[in-house]
Amino acid sequence: MKHVLHGTKIHLATGGRDFDPAGDVLVMLHGSGQNHLSWILQSRHFAHQGHSVLVPDFPGHGLSEGTPLETIEDMAAWIIDLLDSLSVKTACIVGHSQGCLVSIELATRYPDRITHLVLIAGAMAIPVNEVLLDMSEQALEKAIAMLTSFGHGPEAHKYDHSLPGHSFIGFGERLMAVNNRNALKADFTACNNYSNGRAAAASISQPTLCILAHKDRNTPLKFGKMMAEAINDCTLEIIKNAGHMLPVERPLEVNAAMRTFLGNR
Amino acid sequence: MSGDYKFDTLSLHAGHVPDETHGSRAVPIHQTTSYVFKDSDHAAALYNMEIGGHLYSRISNPTVAVLEQRVAALDGAVAATATASGMAALSTTLLTICSQGDHIVSSSRMYGANINLMENTLPRFGITTSFVDPCDPDAIKAAIQDNTKLIFGEVIGNPGLDIMDVEKVAKIADEAGIPLILDCTFNTPWLLKPIDLGANIIIHSLTKWMGGHGIAIGGIAVDAGNFDWGRNDKFPTIAGPHYSMNGINFYEEFGPAAFTARFRAEGMYNLGPSLSPTNAFHILQGLETLPLRMQRHMENTAKMLEFLGNHEGVAWVRHPNLPDHPGHELAKKMLPRGAGSIIVFGLKGGRDAGRAFIESVDLASHLANVGDAKTLVIHPASTTHSHISAEAMIEGGLSDDMIRLSVGLEDIDDIIADFKQGLKAASRATKA
Repeated sequence: MKHVLHGTKIHLATGGRDFDPAGDVLVMLHGSGQNHLSWILQSRHFAHQGHSVLVPDFPGHGLSEGTPLETIEDMAAWIIDLLDSLSVKTACIVGHSQGCLVSIELATRYPDRITHLVLIAGAMAIPVNEVLLDMSEQALEKAIAMLTSFGHGPEAHKYDHSLPGHSFIGFGERLMAVNNRNALKADFTACNNYSNGRAAAASISQPTLCILAHKDRNTPLKFGKMMAEAINDCTLEIIKNAGHMLPVERPLEVNAAMRTFLGNR
Repeated sequence: MSGDYKFDTLSLHAGHVPDETHGSRAVPIHQTTSYVFKDSDHAAALYNMEIGGHLYSRISNPTVAVLEQRVAALDGAVAATATASGMAALSTTLLTICSQGDHIVSSSRMYGANINLMENTLPRFGITTSFVDPCDPDAIKAAIQDNTKLIFGEVIGNPGLDIMDVEKVAKIADEAGIPLILDCTFNTPWLLKPIDLGANIIIHSLTKWMGGHGIAIGGIAVDAGNFDWGRNDKFPTIAGPHYSMNGINFYEEFGPAAFTARFRAEGMYNLGPSLSPTNAFHILQGLETLPLRMQRHMENTAKMLEFLGNHEGVAWVRHPNLPDHPGHELAKKMLPRGAGSIIVFGLKGGRDAGRAFIESVDLASHLANVGDAKTLVIHPASTTHSHISAEAMIEGGLSDDMIRLSVGLEDIDDIIADFKQGLKAASRATKA
């Protein structure tokens, strides 16, 4: 659905169902250079499972207008402003990659608004090397290609997709190309500058599910495990032979883990 | 398009990972119409497009999916949907995008069935076409009207071998806010990936070089994912609400794969141009050696061009690799590995010589196909294009004496020897 926040037109995917702010709200936050399309295989599924699903395109990403936000803290504040504008009192936050940083920042700053967390392929800190940071500005297409290749695990590189006929690599690159040209640089800068992760994770009291990828080259497994260990009430699921783009690479396993976790609330 | 694996590796591996239960290395043939649902929720999830998977083989099939994923990988696309034939891929593509009152700008020099579809079949449903010279970008641009929804052509024209300037035409399409759809049967992704030049949808007849062995008919519509269907209001079938699934908007929910999502949800569902899993398996076997076969096709074509060009019984030879072809310079730049393995030539003695030649060759096969591993010959004026009007034939670059040769993978010395005796027979027929 289309919405206006802070005077900017934004896109909110709702999984093909009408959004009910009084329902069981599930907010899905995309990663660096991504957009609502990262959640294709979760948004419709959980909306049809009875949740009120909200998958926002951050400003300058996907179908949202505006200038990309430049800090994780700003992204967290933007989400709360979004929820306020939609009259949503509380929500479960699902984050992927950079979305995990926003999720834990939300959970620590707004504990009465966030009921549960699902953190997928993340860590408490996601530093970005200088080469990739520069590339995201000077050679965007090359950065997209590199990130897409790195972000997918070995089976995804053999193009065996759960959506018949679809290409992980092809779709992954096109998805990122849909965003504003400065979106990836802004996201990388935000990740690089975020230093509150450890403190935020340690303060989280909400029940949390961490779903990590065994062959994650972007946020290596050991850092994801450290995040899980730092969170007080955390269930950990590790998916074998999968890469960073877990939601699209292994949707059945991700969705099953989420259903169990959400069903146990 | 990147990824860690190169073309030759993707030809062998893309689309398939052996399943853990059986470990079959070869792609299994899932010769099944239907699939058992885990439970009611699982069934509903498939019908609602909530999750990936298969619910009925008219819509998708695991063996066919491997083929689709492999071709998508080879073309550098976001997705692909296989069909029963190349014509099924084309007609379903056009019907996915166009509705009554829409208009197409198309090349005038193409495969006869492509022309017939747009000239004679689609007008019955209110979709009209303007046919223009594919080598005249200005004419293509001038033909675009307010209700034009796409530009269509062949990269290497059949059978006249015209070369379309893909980059120029892609730019024209983009400026007009419409997609460029290309029949890439004659080039395959090994000779050219038109997506890299701005093409938006690729059609292949998998029957030809992609399958490569003349044993299975199939087609595929390949989605580059690089066309913004929501950029204007021309594409309500893709960027507007669908008639089912609570008004799903494929553009919003599938983004770069919106065309494929609509193609499958409506085209495969309602029109049913399904490729059989057995045919998909056969085509996959051919695809595994596509790089090797195309290389050999190009080597043999070069030698045949030299032979035919120097034979006294041959009146003319046309191929973009020859310097006198009008598209030669463009072909050199756009198709550096070669401009395909189709040669057209005419014999001294015209139609009678042509007939004598075709009926005398022994190793080359006289039949209606191209892109087989075996060498093939045919006389288009009396066969593949016999249903086209005389004016359309001339416009299509055909002539009465033209023989279309699809150079195969045999030892070239054997083919040349076969042609020598065929040309001798042609000469005798002319003198008689």
